[in-house]
Amino acid sequence: MLYREALNKALDEMMEKDESVVILGEDVGFYGGNYKVTEGLYAKYGGKRVIDTPIAENSIVGTAIGMAIGGLRPVAEIMTVNFSLLAMDQIVNQLAKIRYMSGGKITLPVVVRMPQGVAKQLAAQHSQSLERIFASVPGLRVFVASDATTAYYGLKFAVSIDDPVIFLEHELLYHEKMEIEEEKNFSPYRARIKKEGDGITIVSYLKMFHDTMKAVPTVEKELGVSCEVIDLCSINPLDVSTIANSVKKTKHLVVVTEEPKTGAYADEIIYRVIEDTFYELDAPPLKICGEDVPTPYNRKLELMSIPTPEKIATEIIKWGKKHGI
Amino acid sequence: MEYKIIMPQLTDTMESGKIVRWLKGKGDFVEEGEPVVEVETDKAVMEVPSFKSGVLVNILAEEGEEIPVGTEIAVIETEPEKAKVEKREEKPVEKEEKGVKKVEKESEEIKVEVEEVKKIELPEGTASPAAKKTAADLGIDIKKYQEKGILPTPAHEKDVRELYYSHFFDKKALEVIKTYNLSLEEVVKSLKKEKITKKDVENYIVENNIPQIVPVSDIQKRAIENLKKSLEIPVYHIYEEIKTGNLPEIEGITLTTWLIKILGDTMQNHYRTRARIEGDVYKVYPNSNVCVAVAIDEELFMPVVKNVNRKNLRQIAEDLKTLKDKASNRKLTVDDLSGSTFSISNLGMFNILSFDAIIPPGRVGIMAVGVEVKGKTKVTFSFDHRIINGREAALFVDDFKKKFTDKKYIQKLQKEAK
Repeated sequence: MLYREALNKALDEMMEKDESVVILGEDVGFYGGNYKVTEGLYAKYGGKRVIDTPIAENSIVGTAIGMAIGGLRPVAEIMTVNFSLLAMDQIVNQLAKIRYMSGGKITLPVVVRMPQGVAKQLAAQHSQSLERIFASVPGLRVFVASDATTAYYGLKFAVSIDDPVIFLEHELLYHEKMEIEEEKNFSPYRARIKKEGDGITIVSYLKMFHDTMKAVPTVEKELGVSCEVIDLCSINPLDVSTIANSVKKTKHLVVVTEEPKTGAYADEIIYRVIEDTFYELDAPPLKICGEDVPTPYNRKLELMSIPTPEKIATEIIKWGKKHGI
Repeated sequence: MEYKIIMPQLTDTMESGKIVRWLKGKGDFVEEGEPVVEVETDKAVMEVPSFKSGVLVNILAEEGEEIPVGTEIAVIETEPEKAKVEKREEKPVEKEEKGVKKVEKESEEIKVEVEEVKKIELPEGTASPAAKKTAADLGIDIKKYQEKGILPTPAHEKDVRELYYSHFFDKKALEVIKTYNLSLEEVVKSLKKEKITKKDVENYIVENNIPQIVPVSDIQKRAIENLKKSLEIPVYHIYEEIKTGNLPEIEGITLTTWLIKILGDTMQNHYRTRARIEGDVYKVYPNSNVCVAVAIDEELFMPVVKNVNRKNLRQIAEDLKTLKDKASNRKLTVDDLSGSTFSISNLGMFNILSFDAIIPPGRVGIMAVGVEVKGKTKVTFSFDHRIINGREAALFVDDFKKKFTDKKYIQKLQKEAK
């Protein structure tokens, strides 16, 4: 199965179960979605439930909000996170605030799905990672789906709850082959320990989770310690306790994200974990992020601007040697 | 001219594409720019055009097949008169495997190069929070030990723990711990003793069957590489017994020296024992160069005695001594180690009756020599079948054997050695 097929399966099952679930976005219907996430749903559920919209992101989210007020459970697709900037008024001023400002009388079961991150040579305007922006808006929940399992269960969970969810995917993951691992009582609010270890805790999500897993064998060989790798399913709320418990065991924390380093969401993770574990730490936490540059178009420069498995391994090994691991 | 259509990269993230439908059949004429096939990418179904006009002569991918980017999928003949439409090969159709086929991906361990990293150095008294906490728990004054140079600055948790647990051991016990790379903490927790001696640690090692870590030396690594190459040699053996009891005793001339000389002389009459195989040719050398297995400590060297046919026993004995000295001092040069086509390995001095040996790469064969019993010595020849066949090898061995009973020849050698 492909990552995008796991998303498709989640949507299909939720639509089948609940008639109020509808999809809207650019080319989500007849064309099957730009990344083919909604493929086949138009044929199955028709144009009334899988709605093609004009290229107008603010209206897509605004319409979804209206639908939700009217009793539907819309899942809006924004083609990529880069275009969500056009919808920021609806997302930040309406979607995030209506429940609070109506004194809880109006709930907004809206999911806004979108991929982010550096793909291959889509240049600066189409390669951004903006999780920090959404995570900093009170009233929004922000989920991230690193693999087919979190894509499937996470999206179903997002559709089922009454609060607005920003659901972030990664452009390079859609075509990756992976399987859904069966999970009972899945909750995105619980971070997943994907690999156990007792020397270094490494936290990441989306594509960086996979790159981290590739870097880990090299790190373990070079530093002679084992790594515990934690994958996040939600960045707001953040499961601090799972990470902190791991750090209490390993005494070393590394966070890997693709976004530019200044003001990165990685900072938030590190700070929240330090609050709980300061006296347990054996080295200053290491943050591995993208560079503070607009993503270059040139492939070599593009790769230099973001973490890669090689860079992740090198950074962790250097840091480990410096701090006595 | 043949023009091949390859699976194009149609989107930025595409790694492979699925053949949805062939729009042209074999033998069809295709105009430049005309679509030939429909391909499904990670994003959409797209048409792939031909960039040249001609006749579609061959289709290399089935409908439904997942093809990696860059792979040839069809052949167009641009000169139609030349076009010969190939018959379509009947491929077993995998009906069950609908949809995506697995595209093999390399899952190699990534390699990185990290330049020398210096540990950070800070003034005495500095330590990580974890180290401070552990030190407080264990009652260790970090600063005091840092001033003495026993703890590093800054100290990390591991350092403090090691220091604390090292107090349980005496000096000699610690040395053993170091050679076996044991965890102090584990040993203390397991032995539950206040004062641990060398003997305690040695008992612990035996009790838990802990291996000593012995690194493979560079020389041994090279030897292992060569042994792997030896495995590729198709080998057979010839077992014989030679009369070595008749050889006259000459001071300073060992049995090995005799064997080298007689072997070298025999090689002169059998050109294949002076040959080396390189691709499609044999290189036949005029001189008999014989290498001898020399064991120094636990390592094996194969220095070469050159031009054995042109040297007398005395000269060979001198060569042998020089080579052994060089081996002991690890001074053998590349030249000392190369150029031979035959080898000798002698385990007779260890009272071994007989054995067979592995041919070092690049040699025709090796002679394994056992101990002399009642004037007779068992020898086992291993030959590389690619260079020498059984008949030629048999003639060679027989010739070698006969030389030991050839009184005139032996006397001549004896005379030359004086």
